Amino acid sequence: MPDQTIPDQLLLQHKVEQFYYREARLLDNRQYQSWLALCAENIQYIMPARGNPLVNNLEHGNESMISVERELEGVDSDGCPLREESYLHLALRVDRSFKINAWAENPAARTRRIVGNVEIIDVDGEQLSVTSNFHLFYARPGAANFIYAGQRRDLLKVTEESYQISQREIIMDMADVRVPTLGLFL
Amino acid sequence: MKVADLVNADATLISRRAWSDERVYQLEKRGIFGKAWLFLGHETQIPNTGDFVQAYMCETPIILARGEDDDIYACINSCSHRGLPVCRADHGNTKRFVCPYHNWSYKVSGELVAIPQERMVKKGPDKSVLGLKRVPRVESWRGMIFGSFDENIESLDSYLGDMRFYLDAFFERFPAGIEFMGAPHRWVIDANWKLPMENQLGDVNHGPYLHAAVIPPEANQEIYDHGFSVVPGPGHGATFRLMPEDVPIEQVAWGFEGLGTLLGGDEVQEYLCEVQRQSAERVGAIRSRMKGLTFGVYPNLSFLWSNTSFKVSHPRGPGQVEYWSWAAVPADAPDNIKKILRRNYSSFFGPGGILEQEDAESWMQQYLGSAIDFADDRCFYYGLGLGEEKPHPDLPGLVSGTANEYYARAFFQRWRDALMAVEDDHA
Ligand code: FES
Ligand SMILES: [Fe+2]
Repeated sequence: MPDQTIPDQLLLQHKVEQFYYREARLLDNRQYQSWLALCAENIQYIMPARGNPLVNNLEHGNESMISVERELEGVDSDGCPLREESYLHLALRVDRSFKINAWAENPAARTRRIVGNVEIIDVDGEQLSVTSNFHLFYARPGAANFIYAGQRRDLLKVTEESYQISQREIIMDMADVRVPTLGLFL
Repeated sequence: MKVADLVNADATLISRRAWSDERVYQLEKRGIFGKAWLFLGHETQIPNTGDFVQAYMCETPIILARGEDDDIYACINSCSHRGLPVCRADHGNTKRFVCPYHNWSYKVSGELVAIPQERMVKKGPDKSVLGLKRVPRVESWRGMIFGSFDENIESLDSYLGDMRFYLDAFFERFPAGIEFMGAPHRWVIDANWKLPMENQLGDVNHGPYLHAAVIPPEANQEIYDHGFSVVPGPGHGATFRLMPEDVPIEQVAWGFEGLGTLLGGDEVQEYLCEVQRQSAERVGAIRSRMKGLTFGVYPNLSFLWSNTSFKVSHPRGPGQVEYWSWAAVPADAPDNIKKILRRNYSSFFGPGGILEQEDAESWMQQYLGSAIDFADDRCFYYGLGLGEEKPHPDLPGLVSGTANEYYARAFFQRWRDALMAVEDDHA
């Protein structure tokens, strides 16, 4: 952001980090309805699938040979992302969470998120492109404890008082899916 | 432990040990996974020479590939030298698999073509007998490729039997058939492999209860009113609604129902109605009124018509399953429709699915319940609807309402016979 002064950059960084901390707190407190208000109504919420493609020896010596991108099956691929959801899907998940027969989470799972490495990649008018990393501790009563790790690539829309998430792409780091669900709000 | 003690004569009682005992699992490997036709993949995943995907037959890793002669081959992914997997990628296209350890290299069809160390010894080994072990029988039907370790197994056609009538109710709706989109989602769940299978063979009866948070009551009512559970042959199963002749077309159109309609939007609805309009001509009057739910093919393949996905339940011991699922779409559907359809699978089923998280939790809890002590005198009750299944003038197999658990009894009778056939072998 070359046209921003250092104090402006620091302020922006601070505001974005505060937004993510608040988001994490709402989710860990299971205030999913309040969390949903942080999502824009045209949100695209995506979790690409991640595989182990054949390494191409013609690319040897180049970073592209083992890039993360080549492991991902996202929305534009012919494969099948793990999740590609709209606001309605998220609203359905939120709705489910507050019903007695959401049996996978009744009793509710304990979660704790640490969000970090918040990096503002680009500012384009009223839209910020931000990446962040997360570690999530997940414990369902009567089951093992699980760690989820990944990266979020967000587009944030500037609003009057804060931000709204208009796009979120979640890159999961697990090689095999050995967790009870990938259907969490991440 | 005797197999006869695990399942009673009419399979209304199933022992907890059938789910949790390591010895039972070893018998399942020999009696079922060593003998049945097992699903490997779909032809659309390997259209070109050199294309390959990984698969499993129980716990044995398989490479499914299209060879230089354009034929399909299935080989065990284990080097003849020291046993390493020679293929480490999930899928791709290659000329050779080169084993990491000493670089023996193989064609995708399994022949050993090079041993780098050969020129340093006086007498090179006979490479023609050192290829990857081939799965002895590989056959396909409607693009679905199956393999069997039993050289003498009946043909795939006869194995599927009347199940084909029901699968065709879906496949034959589409002039170009179906295609699998990308690699399967692979989900490791601490559950026994049979329960995800049982769930799809015919257990639509849990829907209104386990999934009441998400499935709307109208959808359940439609199942009460028009639902059928059919056992086309023991171990196979199909559930569907047979819609009355006079209901509006959008109500019969497969795939998008209730929430799916809402989330899919107009373009997909129009597409599905168009498919439905042509269906009577393609699959006949009866099957065009069929609005499918869950299908199961013995022992561990299932198909969820309503959300168009295929699933395989790969055992990993008695208490763990690697559950694979693919989005399947009409091969000639426009790209945007394919994307909406794959999302109608992934949003509700698979590791991120809104619905299947509830199922997976139940499957894990069932395993815990199967492994407890001091309750071996209390078998699980499988008797609902005993004897209510009947022949039907238009539908092959034995037919009943969806609450009848005959689909599960028939599966366990076949399961019991398969295990008894090998329990006295000294393997
Ligand atoms: S183990 Fe494969 S080459 Fe030696
Ligand atoms: Fe279910």
